[in-house]
Amino acid sequence: MKCKWNSFRQPAVFFIVLILFPFISLTAGVLVAPTSVILSENDRTGRLTVQNPSDSPIEVSIRFGFGIPLSDSLGNVTLRLQDTSEVNHPRSAMNWIRAFPRRVVLAPGATQVVRFVANPPKDIPDGEYWARIVVRSQDSQAQLPDAGNMESITTRLNMVMETAIVLKYRTGELMAKLGVIDTEIERSDSLVAISIDMENQGNVSYVGVLRCNLYDANDVEITTRRINIAVYDDIKRRVDLPVGISDYRQPFHVDIVIENDGRNDVPANELISGNRLEYTLTVP
Amino acid sequence: MFSWNKTKLFSAVSLILLTLSFGATVNAQDVSTGQATATVLAVLAVTAPQDLDFGNVLQGVVTTIARTNATNAGIFQIAGEGTVNQEVSMHMQLPDFLWNAGAGVQDRLVVAFSATDCTIDTTAAGTPAAVGLGAIVGEDPQNIPDTGVGGTDDIIQIYLGGTVHPAPDQRAGSYTADIILTAAYTGD
Repeated sequence: MKCKWNSFRQPAVFFIVLILFPFISLTAGVLVAPTSVILSENDRTGRLTVQNPSDSPIEVSIRFGFGIPLSDSLGNVTLRLQDTSEVNHPRSAMNWIRAFPRRVVLAPGATQVVRFVANPPKDIPDGEYWARIVVRSQDSQAQLPDAGNMESITTRLNMVMETAIVLKYRTGELMAKLGVIDTEIERSDSLVAISIDMENQGNVSYVGVLRCNLYDANDVEITTRRINIAVYDDIKRRVDLPVGISDYRQPFHVDIVIENDGRNDVPANELISGNRLEYTLTVP
Repeated sequence: MFSWNKTKLFSAVSLILLTLSFGATVNAQDVSTGQATATVLAVLAVTAPQDLDFGNVLQGVVTTIARTNATNAGIFQIAGEGTVNQEVSMHMQLPDFLWNAGAGVQDRLVVAFSATDCTIDTTAAGTPAAVGLGAIVGEDPQNIPDTGVGGTDDIIQIYLGGTVHPAPDQRAGSYTADIILTAAYTGD
């Protein structure tokens, strides 16, 4: 049953979202599903569905970029897209992925399937290769502002929306493995801040969940935080755990778990299972 | 490759009917039928309910729209997954100029955004003039921090202000530019 459901899951999810969508107030944006496209040496094609839920035509264009989550020295994570041919990351797939169509005007309520095909170079090493599918949408009926007869200066700023969807191409033996290089803990009056240096030791992105549970000396849970993570290269991840006003007994300790389990948003047949990390640290 | 058969069609219809039966109060992200459970994730919807609108401006008169301006501040909305686990990276590409590309007349109008021209609000009820609880006020629109989506309202709202600097000899005409917001999940 579960296996059958996996093949049915993504289209069903999209249908459900379409049904829910009228309850969400949106203007001049498109609905894109799924949030990741997986290609492989056995199936080099994939698809993405774009829908216009609004009551006006929307111009949609598709392009590719390269972008993986990166962190600064404080552990803040950002994702910056590079969309030039100068991307030289060894795992970049953006130069050998094609999309059809790349530009379309969607009528109100219309849906368009965008197909992707991978033409990778021969003999690429085993593992996963990445690109970002950038879906840009904007009002196709945007009018230039009318300066009128007054010889005045009129302005218009067009709000353009882009959604960056991850595309992964997988080939050969795949291994998901994560290592923790270092963990730092800082304590202030109202906060315990944890910075975890993680290293991708496999040949695919490590997609999982990071859980941090803060306890006092009596094992009373003070706070918990759970974050979905995707580790492509090395990354430093900061997690802030607020300490509420209560009579907690010190010293505190933090249980940290990083694992694949719990990513219910990723279809099971698309998740590469990896190692589980669990450790406890005392808060200074 | 997905293909329809009777079983799948029946399941799809069941899911649709089940979901419809929840009506407008549906907020939960899990829909179950028998042994099957679907997590409604799938979308990261970026929309722009309100343009940043400077309207008509005068030569030599600097015009500022505050991020707190209810009717003229720009608003982007990002709707995503329904759990607090997921964070969204947002990057805004802001113009340096608005362009007038009229017939035989070309000119540019300087537009600037300060390091405090942006507010990030994770409530649906918030507005530029009355932000929701926990809003991050006065952020740099060029450096928006990754933000969790899936609070109570499953939404992130970004309010944007800015300033245009018409020159004293600025040509009359219509000036346009694009503001581009790119959003992506940081956790896939």
